[in-house]
Amino acid sequence: MILVQGLVKRYGSRTAVDGVSFCVQAGEVFGLLGPNGAGKTTTISILATLLRPDAGQVSIGGYDLLTQTSEVKKLIGFVPQELALYPTLSAWDNLAFFGCIYGLHGRALHKRIAAALDLVRLRDRASEAVRHFSGGMKRRLNIAAGLVHQPQVLFLDEPTVGVDPQSRNFIFEYVEQLKAEGMTIIYTTHYMEEAERLCDRVAIIDEGRIVAMDTVRSLVNLLGGGVIYVSLAPTSVTQGLLPTICAFPHVQSASIQDSRLKIETRNAPLTLSALIEVCSAHNASILSLEVLEPNLESVFLHLTGKSLRN
Amino acid sequence: MINQIFALSWKDLKIFFKDPAAVALTFLTPFVFIVVMSYALQGVFGSEEESFQILVVNQDRGNHAEQIIQELSKMKGFRIETDWDGQPLTRQTAESLIITGKRGLAIIFPPEFSAVLTQPLIAAERFTTTVILLADPVISIQFTEPLSGTLRGLIERTAFAALAPQGIDFVLNQLAPSAPADASERLKSLMLSSRVLEGDNVPVSIAQLAPPGMRVEQKPNTFQQNIPGYTIYGIFWIVNALALSVLQEKRDGTFRRLMVAPIDRAVMFVGKLLPYYIINLAQIGILLGVSSVLFGMSLGRSPSGLVAVSLATAASALGLGVLVSAAARTESQAAGLSVLLILTMCTLGGCFVPRFIMPEWLRTLGLITPHAWALDAYQHLLVRGYGLVEVLPQIGALLGFAVLFFGIGTWRFRFE
Repeated sequence: MILVQGLVKRYGSRTAVDGVSFCVQAGEVFGLLGPNGAGKTTTISILATLLRPDAGQVSIGGYDLLTQTSEVKKLIGFVPQELALYPTLSAWDNLAFFGCIYGLHGRALHKRIAAALDLVRLRDRASEAVRHFSGGMKRRLNIAAGLVHQPQVLFLDEPTVGVDPQSRNFIFEYVEQLKAEGMTIIYTTHYMEEAERLCDRVAIIDEGRIVAMDTVRSLVNLLGGGVIYVSLAPTSVTQGLLPTICAFPHVQSASIQDSRLKIETRNAPLTLSALIEVCSAHNASILSLEVLEPNLESVFLHLTGKSLRN
Repeated sequence: MINQIFALSWKDLKIFFKDPAAVALTFLTPFVFIVVMSYALQGVFGSEEESFQILVVNQDRGNHAEQIIQELSKMKGFRIETDWDGQPLTRQTAESLIITGKRGLAIIFPPEFSAVLTQPLIAAERFTTTVILLADPVISIQFTEPLSGTLRGLIERTAFAALAPQGIDFVLNQLAPSAPADASERLKSLMLSSRVLEGDNVPVSIAQLAPPGMRVEQKPNTFQQNIPGYTIYGIFWIVNALALSVLQEKRDGTFRRLMVAPIDRAVMFVGKLLPYYIINLAQIGILLGVSSVLFGMSLGRSPSGLVAVSLATAASALGLGVLVSAAARTESQAAGLSVLLILTMCTLGGCFVPRFIMPEWLRTLGLITPHAWALDAYQHLLVRGYGLVEVLPQIGALLGFAVLFFGIGTWRFRFE
């Protein structure tokens, strides 16, 4: 559905997007994950026809982005980071306006507005002016405005920024519902939980370049095993425990704080059995034990040496 | 508490000074307005060189009109012009100068002025004559009445000086035919200086007329004279409204969202401007309509002229709005720039201060504003009684301004 090859965008001497290439299948949710300033918004802005690339090729739905822009525009919907709505107009009027711009009118428009408001659960507030909405409600309406014309491809640019947990969950549910309906979605975020939950595949982007791209599971597997947390009884003798654990063959690092051990390992099952033996030998009583798989955050850290939240 | 007040104040000062263009406009606007207003009012409050210009056409075959002209020339506040391009003024030239807006007032002394003043007191048939005060109807009563009063006083004084000796001789001849000549002269001198014979029996009247071609049915009232100027002032506030709306759409990202849609930028542009054009036209219609109904203001003889001028004026105002929208980067800048332009251009264009009292250079400078042309056009239609054909040059100028403003504005306009 989307094919991006060698995309470049420069602002003066700064290269915001540096040779980005990827493809997205129809019905796929594709995530662009990276910290602020990584080039996600520039990439999505190019795909949404807002910016012209300095180099590279993009085709969406078989149409070339640069030469068949108007055809591309008919296929896509865009939800910007900003709350791009008219605050003095009602939710219904906002959607009616954006629907009209996409050529909808009459019963079809009415039906689409109702469907979009139902999706974001704002039907009962349809006649209220948007300025009276909470931040979360505005975010949801912002998404509805990008969907009212039923695009085949939806670009969501950090749609959960500044949203309360409840509204964030609502947004996740909408995206999952759209995915179930077969919509192709490109989703930018710097929250790894969102990428992990929503995206079929993720491109990790940093300083304008894609540093890794795969399914979330495959990316996570780059780091192998996982992290083991062990809570020891306060009376446990922990002296000498840490050097022993660090000497295990698969352990990458280990630390202890307030009787809580944290062990990063390439092979959690093997490390776990050895750990239990060592604790027993050191008379350290285990109160609880937790094994966490590695996540995108740690993958990003591993690949770039930086945190996603920077 | 003091620290908190300081912190709050300091924060706002920092925010204020973060936008240097808006800061500059804040201080520049009142300064520019003061300067322009002061120059504009020089004709009323200013120096002698910048006093109110009055054309005088002297057709008098005698010398009494010349005496009055000399008296008028000595008065502060008036600048008397009896020549134009090195030639003595004729009535035709004076009319033409008023019609073209170069001057506002002319006094025309008739050829028989001196003869009528000095005709024998005991003649069987006494002749009268009229001094014409030729005035552009847009000139308010506050300017014509003092001039008319001054002129009347001077004519009466001249008439008295011309007629009194005759009267004294007549009385003396009747009462004391044998009185010595020197006693008669002394009495004359005494009576002239004491003005004991002065009266209203002056055979010269003053008539205020409009130049030919101006079909003024009745003397325009104050609303008729003021409403065109203030209507134009109101129309141009659309500049501020449009610029703020554009910047708000840029800030909120709604333009950005629209740019993703399958819609041409030209269509977006037209769609954005059209409502403001309609609002402007509605504003003009309501202002003129209400003024007509409530204040009895005449709407002139040419509805088509009024429509054409309104369309052209609204177009130039909208063009200026596009220009400001393109130039301003922040809403503070847009507000500051709008106020600066509106106040300065309205003053220069004559919306607040009549252009005829401005110094000549300022009057010429005013022509670089659409306001001056719009005001002239509305005054042609509403006050001078002209029709569509007479306002075509003004409509052309207004459309020229609109094209210029739109041209530069659209060239610099960015949706993001």
